[in-house]
Amino acid sequence: MTSTTAQTIPTTFTTVAPDNWKLAIVVGLVVSLLACLILPPNISFWIVGAMVAMVAMTFVVNAYHRHYYGGLLVSPAIAVLVVMNIFPLLWSLGLSFFAYQSNQQTIRFVGLANYVKILTDDLKAPENWANLTNTAMFVVLTVTAQMIVGFLLALMFAKQFPLRKYLLILVLTPMMLSVVAVGVFFSNYYDPTFGLLSYFIRLFTGEQFILMDNKAGAVAGIVFADAWMWSPFVMLLVLAGLVSVPKYLYEAAAIDRVSGWRRFWSITFPYIRGLLMLALLFRTIEAFKMADLVILLTKGGNGTMTISYHLIRIANEQNKTSEGAAISYVMLFIVIVLTNLYLYIANRRTEGA
Amino acid sequence: MSTIELKQATKKYGDFVAARDVDLSVKKGEVVCLLGPSGCGKTTTLRMIAGLERITSGEVIVAGQRMNDLPPEKRDIAMVFQFYALYPALTVGENIAMPLHYEKISATEMKARVDKVAEILHLGAVLNRLPGQVSEGEKQRVAVARAIVRDPNCFLFDEPLSRLDVELRHSMRGQIKQVLANLSKATVIVTHDQLEALTMADRIAIMKDGIIEQVGTPHEVFAKPANVFVGSFIGTPQMNLVEAKLSKFEKGKASINFNGQDIEITTNELVGKLNSPKITIGIRPRAFTAEGNASTENIQAVAELIEPMGAETLVHARTKGGNDIRVVVPREKRVKVGEALHLRPDPAQTHVFGEDGKAVRL
Amino acid sequence: MGEATSIWEKLGFRKASGVSEAGWGQTLFAGIISLIYFLPVLLIIITSFKLQTEALSIPPKFMPTNLFGLIPDAYVFSPTLENYTSVFSRAMTSGGAAENTGFDRYFFNSIMIASVSVLLALVIGTLAAFGFSRYPLKGNDTYLFVILTTRMLPAIVVIIPVILMFRVTGLSGSYLGIIMLYTAFNLPFTIWMMKSFFDELSLDVEDAARLDGSSGLKVFFKICLPQVLAGLAATFVFGLILTWNEFLFALLLTGIDTRTVPVAMSQAVAGGGIGVLWGLLAAIETLFLIPVFFVTFFLQDHLLRGVTFGTVKR
Repeated sequence: MTSTTAQTIPTTFTTVAPDNWKLAIVVGLVVSLLACLILPPNISFWIVGAMVAMVAMTFVVNAYHRHYYGGLLVSPAIAVLVVMNIFPLLWSLGLSFFAYQSNQQTIRFVGLANYVKILTDDLKAPENWANLTNTAMFVVLTVTAQMIVGFLLALMFAKQFPLRKYLLILVLTPMMLSVVAVGVFFSNYYDPTFGLLSYFIRLFTGEQFILMDNKAGAVAGIVFADAWMWSPFVMLLVLAGLVSVPKYLYEAAAIDRVSGWRRFWSITFPYIRGLLMLALLFRTIEAFKMADLVILLTKGGNGTMTISYHLIRIANEQNKTSEGAAISYVMLFIVIVLTNLYLYIANRRTEGA
Repeated sequence: MSTIELKQATKKYGDFVAARDVDLSVKKGEVVCLLGPSGCGKTTTLRMIAGLERITSGEVIVAGQRMNDLPPEKRDIAMVFQFYALYPALTVGENIAMPLHYEKISATEMKARVDKVAEILHLGAVLNRLPGQVSEGEKQRVAVARAIVRDPNCFLFDEPLSRLDVELRHSMRGQIKQVLANLSKATVIVTHDQLEALTMADRIAIMKDGIIEQVGTPHEVFAKPANVFVGSFIGTPQMNLVEAKLSKFEKGKASINFNGQDIEITTNELVGKLNSPKITIGIRPRAFTAEGNASTENIQAVAELIEPMGAETLVHARTKGGNDIRVVVPREKRVKVGEALHLRPDPAQTHVFGEDGKAVRL
Repeated sequence: MGEATSIWEKLGFRKASGVSEAGWGQTLFAGIISLIYFLPVLLIIITSFKLQTEALSIPPKFMPTNLFGLIPDAYVFSPTLENYTSVFSRAMTSGGAAENTGFDRYFFNSIMIASVSVLLALVIGTLAAFGFSRYPLKGNDTYLFVILTTRMLPAIVVIIPVILMFRVTGLSGSYLGIIMLYTAFNLPFTIWMMKSFFDELSLDVEDAARLDGSSGLKVFFKICLPQVLAGLAATFVFGLILTWNEFLFALLLTGIDTRTVPVAMSQAVAGGGIGVLWGLLAAIETLFLIPVFFVTFFLQDHLLRGVTFGTVKR
């Protein structure tokens, strides 16, 4: 660093300087608002973009002047996330306060009416509630199944044995498959006439077996396919924890004649607890979004409609964009509460220990 | 009965022999140190006793029972690991209690026994902390406490003090020695530090390249090294080892020539019966007397480097023939660089090693 | 120890010694379980060699040969490569020259879009993770949590604004648009993973390098990055697997030229009124599986070491 770049001119709020980000934000906001109000959207979009770029630039210059590497390093990621994720998210948050349908030109501010509608409407609230409980059921069932199966698989692969590498990759394969193929082929496996499942059961009972004709069967079918596909993810995380336990701890346990059960809880489990939490977190988030397998296997029939599939229907098929946005923000709220709960428990454990 | 016996114990990894034909027996109440440079097979030997390594051939007998095929859990052995191997998620107290669960005793008794060893090793104040939150010295004591909390067949220590600083090491050495004396069990300690071995052990087994070179009391291995390696390994400053030629042996006196200088040394009869005149002379730095005049019984050398060591002074001297000789002289004797020295070796502390490196001794 | 690693040892044939190694018994047990687990995939692969008429036959035809009469003919199908050729070109029903299905293009698109966006996310995300780990901002944890939050909403919520945005900016149907979107899609996971790796590194070496006058940039490239290679590999594999099979964004935001395989697959197999084209679907899926399968296989060792540090910290 040369000393010339290091000198900082004390900037007040009104100084026009390349690193005065506070002024840039204010100017950017004002110009953007004006542009949105006066100009047509296809022009105002670029003006807003230019303002964002200007603010970003002032941040970068400011950070560089102050040797503020944290800001510099983080800014590209923040920029991409803001443009591609956070901006659309805020947009849809905004939409949830309007009455807007993507196939119509009108847009009208309605405040919280959408939220009131989805939460209290005589027709919609029970439907949403049912979809939410279905989703909760799928979250609990699939995540539990994945955790158990993944955990058992990881235990199986924890020790080194001949050909382990080759068997491990076989087990990892399901999560590399396209969900379209998994859905289509599982619907074939479950098919009462042509399916393997029905075929094998018929060998014993002599009767055709229809898995998907009741709620329990349909749920079981979906949960099975989903757990099959994603247990390897859990397995990989747990396995990573298992192999990270230093060998000498197990040697010490052998010398100390520690029983298998106690050895697991006292030595192994502390090493995998964090990774179990991570697996739980990511799988829960994903399970909340479950839609594609439901679409492919049951089309939401037999009480398997999930909130996510419901969203696709009303937002994409029925074009009720704002109502969909409102539902998804209620859902986001639930997921945030849940993940925070996880993180709280995880951290309390590690700090308490 | 707390004993350990190894008979021809061998451990191979593929073609590599980590320990070869190790014979060792440790009596009840005896402390044996396995001493050697790193990679000499001493830790492998210890792990063979513990059952953490399966032996390739030979026998491991603990408490009179052949234990070759038994896993560590069945051998009833307590061990202190080099890096302590404390269970990171358990508190110090829980760590110490871990071996007791096997005995199915009541919680109160367990607590009493943990408290007792904690008191012996001054760990009472840290019982509720995690291993990550205590000092290195405390970790080491926890590891020892976890070993002595039970009543095993024998104790094994793998480099127990290697991670401590000098001062702590010194005080722990005393503490461990005292604790072991009260327990009266067969104990094996692995170390690369000869001072540790000399102070703690009843007997020392010196290993090199997977082979035990000599087993003996600290006094024996120091005063009567079995071969050149043991002679050079034990003792600080290191023993002077000079390659020489035996020219004549008469009336208990050997005439020896090294690098153009001849001296006469009083030694034992066996030296006269050596087949080869090529020998190695080993003289400890403290076994010289500086004399006034040159004679056939002293070595001529010139002081080159003086290292005061406090009570004594270490002098590096160079002989005519170019051999470097380390001599320790009392502090009072002021030696100057460049001063000519006439060094007379003490015959009783002069070791003659044959061409095969073995000591020639009655 | 002085053990020479032979080809056998590399294959995992190692003599059992020490406490944490199991023998061939474990191989047998794990082999049976793994094969059962792999069975649905195996059936897909087998189906890719079957004609449409045999694909759904009951009893299932699962053997490509009768093994000199050992297997009853009812279980034997006649293997064909027809599905694989028809992935790339199909005969016109009205006769004439075979028509290119465009799948070569779709495979190229999938490989290009997935690898570029995952690598881009890896570069940007690793920088950000290093920043979050070494130069914490005010409210660092809040930033991290907000970043994670962006992964919690169903894609459908983001998609409508994104579609509008893409339409306005002309990014719709372009490589740039979908690559940027996937990059953003991969960033949260990348940042979280890589941050936990950087958090685990010992700071001593870095401090020493800084005292020696190395710049922050040099410390990052010469000291930190080499230590987290396993983490990079693991993050890359996870990102690749998720991006490779992404369906909804690809369906709504790629054009005819930038279409990826999952989208093309769902359209190709619909079969125009005659039901699912099982053999074709299986062939596409099998081909589509190969690249990601081998990438995972070759980075497998890193995968295990890699996620070790990836624990939740907040």
